[in-house]
Formats: sequence, C-alpha cells, structure tokens
Amino acid sequence: MPHWTLRGYHVFLAAVLTGAGVFGLGSGAAAHPHVWATVRSEIVFGPDNKITGIRHAWTFDEFYSAMAIQGLDADGDGVYSKEELAPLAQVNVESLKEFAYFTFVRVTGKDKFLPLKPPVDYSIEYDDPVITLYFTLPLETPLDPGAKGVSVEVYDPSFFVAFGFAKERAVKIAGQAAGCTAKLDVPDPESAEAAKALSESFFSQLGPNSDYGSQFAQAVMVTCGAQ
Amino acid sequence: MRRSIKSMLTSLALGLGIAMFFAMLVPFAGNAQTSPPSAFGTPTDRQAAPPAFTAPAPQTAPLKAKGPFGTVLSWVAQTQQKMQRQLATAVKRLKSGNALGAGLILAGLSFAYGIVHAAGPGHGKAIISSYVIANEETVRRGILISFLAAGVQGLTAVALVGVMLVALNATGFQVNAWVKQLETVSYGLVFLVGLYLLVTELVRLWRRRQARYGAHVHVHHSAHGHHHHGHDHDHENCEACGHIVDARDLAGPLSWRKIAAVVLSVGIRPCSGAVLVLIFALTQGLFWAGVAATFAMALGTAITVAALATLALGSREVALRLGGGNTRWVDGVWTTCAIGGALLVMGIGFLMLTASLGPARPF
Repeated sequence: MPHWTLRGYHVFLAAVLTGAGVFGLGSGAAAHPHVWATVRSEIVFGPDNKITGIRHAWTFDEFYSAMAIQGLDADGDGVYSKEELAPLAQVNVESLKEFAYFTFVRVTGKDKFLPLKPPVDYSIEYDDPVITLYFTLPLETPLDPGAKGVSVEVYDPSFFVAFGFAKERAVKIAGQAAGCTAKLDVPDPESAEAAKALSESFFSQLGPNSDYGSQFAQAVMVTCGAQ
Repeated sequence: MRRSIKSMLTSLALGLGIAMFFAMLVPFAGNAQTSPPSAFGTPTDRQAAPPAFTAPAPQTAPLKAKGPFGTVLSWVAQTQQKMQRQLATAVKRLKSGNALGAGLILAGLSFAYGIVHAAGPGHGKAIISSYVIANEETVRRGILISFLAAGVQGLTAVALVGVMLVALNATGFQVNAWVKQLETVSYGLVFLVGLYLLVTELVRLWRRRQARYGAHVHVHHSAHGHHHHGHDHDHENCEACGHIVDARDLAGPLSWRKIAAVVLSVGIRPCSGAVLVLIFALTQGLFWAGVAATFAMALGTAITVAALATLALGSREVALRLGGGNTRWVDGVWTTCAIGGALLVMGIGFLMLTASLGPARPF
C-alpha cells in the first residue's frame, strides 16, 4: 500500500526536522549570557606548599547588581551595607552548590575535578554601581600542585553567566608558597588542541544543559617548583 | 465572523507595532518629568564617594572562546557585553547631559539588542517557526504571530516589574523568582500547544483514512500546493469531496484561538533581558525609559522571530514545489510539516520545561 511507504518517509522527515530544531535550540540557548561577572581569584596556600582553597571575588555587571540589591536597603538610608547584603550573599553561595560553584579544579592531565567544600567567609560589598561577591572555597584535601601543576577554571557551562577574569591582577597567591606561581591561561581560538577539544565535545553541547560555556573557560595554572 | 476576527488581530498587531514605535520616543518625554539639575547632584550622586577615594571596579578581559568557531563565538559574546554596557550608559545619560541624544541612542541600542538577543531561547523563535509550518499559516500570519508574541512578552515584563517593584515594593530576587515561575508555566503551555497540534493532525489523518476506505475516493489537493485542512473541522470527511480550495480559505476558521494559544504560551514568559533593563532604569529613577527600551527591544525581537518564521515557511514552500505538483508529494510534505512541527513544539516545550525545573540559579 503506497501510503504506508509514504508514512515511513514522513516519520523520517519528521525526525530530521526535530533533530534540526533541537540543534537550533541547543546552539541558540547557549550564546546568551544574561549576567557578566569579572573574576579575581586568590590561590590560598597552607603549610607545606599545599593549596587549601580558592578565594574568589566576583564583580557583577551593573544590570545584575541593580537587580540584586533592589529592595535590600532595609533601613532606607540609601546605603547598602554589608549587613543588609548578608542574606543575599548567603542565598548566592548556597545555591552555588548545585552549579559546582562554577569552579573547576583539577590536576593537570587528569579528567576528574577535585572536590570542594561549601564556601566560607562569604560577603557581598556594594560599590556603586556594582556588587562584588567574596567567598572562599576550601579544597576537600589540600594539595601540593608540584611542577605538573593544578588548573582552576571558572565558568558557567550553560553560559547564562559569562565569567571572565579581570584585566589586571586577576590571580594571586595568598599565604606561604615558596617557588609557586599562578598565572592565567587565556584560550587561544587558533590552537589545534583547542579545536580538537571542541570537536570531541561538540555533540554533547547540544540541548539546554549544554557545555557551551566551557569554550570560554580561562584557566589559572598553579605550579610549584617548575622551571 | 472569521473576517472580523482576522482584521481585529491584524489591527491589534499594527497597533502594537505603532505603540512600540512611539514607546521608542518616550525617553524624551520621560526626561521632561525629571527634576531640574541640582547643584548638589542627584540623590545617588550625592551618596557616591568622591572618585579619588573609590577603587575603580575591575575590568574584565575580553571573553575568548576556543575551537574552530572561537573567533565568531568570542565576537558574539563580546558584542553582547558591549551592548549591555552601552545600554546602561545610555540610561544614565538620560539623567544628565544630552537627553535627546541619549534617548535616541537608548532606543536604537534596545532595538539592536532585541534583534541580537532574540537569537537566545525563550523568545518563541523555534516555537513560532514550528507552529507556522505545522499549521497552514501564511507569511502574513507568521509575522503577525511574531509581533503579537513579542508585544505580549514586553507587556508581561513591564507588568511584572511595575506591579512588584513599584506597587508592592518587592526585592529584585522576588521578581527573579517570578520570572522563573512564569518560564515554567510558559514551557508547560508550549508543550500543551504542541500536543494539541499533534492530536488534531492525527485525528485528521485518521478521519481521512476512514473516508478513503469508506468512500473509495481519492484525496485531491490544489495544484498550487495549498491545503484545506481547516475544512476538516467544519465538514468531516470533506476532503473526499475533492474540491479545489481557494487561497483565501487557506487559514482555517477558529485558528485565531490557536494563534492566541501560541501568543500567550510564548508571551507569558517575560524576557529576562527586558526585566534587567527595567529594574536598572527603575533604580535610576527612569522607569519610563525602561518601558520604552523594553518595547524597542520587543520590536527588534519580533523582527528576528518573524524573519525566522518566514524562512521556515519559505522552506516549506520550496519543499512543496520540489514535487512538481504531484499530489502525493504535496500531501506528504504537508503531513510531514504538520506532524514534525507539532513534535518540535512539544519537544521544545518538554526540554525547556525540564530544564526550568532544575535547581534555582544563584545569579
């Protein structure tokens, strides 16, 4: 019966259409940051040249800042004090857990990310017109980066928040860390290695939970005793 | 009846378009209402510490992406960031300096931001395109739906921020929570619209099959690739009559109800970009500038969505012509578009619904 073959054809075409649509949706969903954050990070060292954690300072754009502090001037004096912004800081760091704190730490060459503990010492400061969120992320197990090094990336995989390291003084080392350096590794669009990484993960990036944002990730490389 | 509803919708869209245009001019009017410049500056100026004592906010290094499309992606991200910063500057300039120039820049920037911004999700780009190909909508209707949806989205954003912040004195985060709720509702409705489209199409196919086997009559379509889907709702099995359908009858009766469903399902979700601009304008004491920017942005969004919907319709037209008037081919393309489009709408609704039910975003 001819109309049956036609129907099979329909299903095929429908599948193609659906695929194209989902593709379009995924790529569209990605290129769409709503919040911009300027990142400054301190790599905190404890005794024995071991990284104990990362202290972040994320400064948000004016639009997001205006939205975040709206209605939080409890005493109405026109000043947004640290105390008034404390509940906001708490909500922020608590909900960050679901997003792995947008902070991805790993030993160079390893795939697995090092586990992080919930943030401590968090606060939000308002410096008209922008707010900065400060918090410290302790590593579950302090680690000596050694010559091989540890990389710290800050990004939102869904690219809803566009994180970018500050132009100046983006990274520094806190504490005693003899012979250790922390420097920023900016992605190079032309590098062959980067191209390979993208093509490998290309298809996993489609869909609303895409990993699109990782393409914009900038890594801090921390090494100790390297030549 | 049908004609009057159609003309009503057309004039509504036209009205919205005109309203959007005039809204772009509002910044000048809005400026006239602000108080004259004081020697001590505006209240916010007075609170700010002298520039010499505040450390400048850190500047972000330009975003860079890796990979073969890295250069393009970097450019897109950097442009969006630049536009957002310019928007903020334009709103602030309305208070001081050349208000006319700042108003024009704000309107133009918002419009351009809308065009670019619509490339993201939640502006009904994929939903409206799929909807128009699933239904035998005309290009004019595709454009109409795009403008209506963008207009309703703008209205939702203004209403939400207006009611919550101006009337209820809520916090920015409460508004954000509402945006998220409305997003979920919107995606749920989109899924239902898709389901409805799919069911109507399957019912139509089933009825036709019954008619075909019952009456042993072949289905006839007009040689121009037009379809008379709408008649099915009125006269069951009428496709077996095999008459040639006039192009004017293309858009079936009662489809205004479907159009309203699509427009509402998309429009009930305010664009988060517009919400941010509105709140920012409000904190600057220029809510009306925010409203104007929102509608200028909606106009830009509508153009992008309408262009994509038209493109989708054009592709369908090409697909129809490929068959060279073969009725089976034409029928096949129509059915494919109807089922595929309905599945797409459902799929998008479902994917976005599940994504929106995820954990609350920190920012």
